[in-house]
Amino acid sequence: MNRPIKPGESDEDRMERSRRVGWIDLDRIGKSRTLVIGAGALGNEVVKNLVLSGFEDITIVDMDRVVLSNLNRCLFFREEDAKRRSFKATALADMAQRMNAACRVSGMVMKVQDLDEGVFRSSDVVLGCLDNIAARLHVNAHCCHLGRPLIDGGTLSTSGKVQVVIPPDSPCLQCSMNRTHYRALERRFSCTGSDTTFFEPKLAAEITTTSVIAAIQVREAIKVLSGREDRCLHHLLRYDGLDNQALELEVPLDPDCGLHRRQ
Amino acid sequence: MRNAETGSTVDMELEEENTVQEIIEGAAGYWEKDSGAYVLRKGKRLLRGQQTVLDAGIGNSDDLELIPDPEGG
Ligand SMILES: [Zn+2]
Repeated sequence: MNRPIKPGESDEDRMERSRRVGWIDLDRIGKSRTLVIGAGALGNEVVKNLVLSGFEDITIVDMDRVVLSNLNRCLFFREEDAKRRSFKATALADMAQRMNAACRVSGMVMKVQDLDEGVFRSSDVVLGCLDNIAARLHVNAHCCHLGRPLIDGGTLSTSGKVQVVIPPDSPCLQCSMNRTHYRALERRFSCTGSDTTFFEPKLAAEITTTSVIAAIQVREAIKVLSGREDRCLHHLLRYDGLDNQALELEVPLDPDCGLHRRQ
Repeated sequence: MRNAETGSTVDMELEEENTVQEIIEGAAGYWEKDSGAYVLRKGKRLLRGQQTVLDAGIGNSDDLELIPDPEGG
């Protein structure tokens, strides 16, 4: 016999409206482990969407501290965070944790290059919310090596992109890069002989584009964890907010890219 | 060749052995782009940097688009 129902009980279930979507596997999503790399604007929006979507185990990695100029696009940061120079990863994790007590949201303050490979290995999906090519290449290499799906977002002014990498078959971030990426990467590091300094360009950024890109990233993660990889981006979405255009682009797999060689 | 950021266009003369990255750098230089990363689109496909005009199947009347690759997060 079916379980007896009670009047109004559907309003007592946090995920009731999400269940009505049908294809979303909320059970798998709730049990999954998600790694978010970068706790800037994209990281804020991505984590907000993850918690609201039923992800309950989220690890956030970032080495930076909050500054006042983050506050035009970072939902979870406050002026006090900028005054205290709070670490982004922990400030974001603390605020996200308050959205749902059932979640385990943890912040790790470190460079992604120092992150133990075990953290990648124990994650079911990785969301790239990064602001530089070197970190993207690092995360991409780990995800390809360990076979972890990577959903990378990027923004510039009112345009953005999302690329979905599902190893080993889909083209990776490295496959889509060319000499201009490596020149941009080199310009980030300036070596003066005894010192290496890191140049961080101040890129145009605003919240509406960030929101769109982060929403697409999390929706692709929901598809991956719901067994709907067949409906994921193939392979990259370019979004132009000024002209209201979104274009899905195919990325050719680079036969010289060493990240796709089967063991 | 179309500039995705401004919509302006320019014709480009290419040889079969020109590579996609040479095309990208030529167009970025012409439009005096800043020092970011760019990709080249032909239809619904991004072109690989090392491919030549011949490999990529770029023909006389093809429209190519120079797109900045958004680095920010
Ligand atoms: Zn690759």
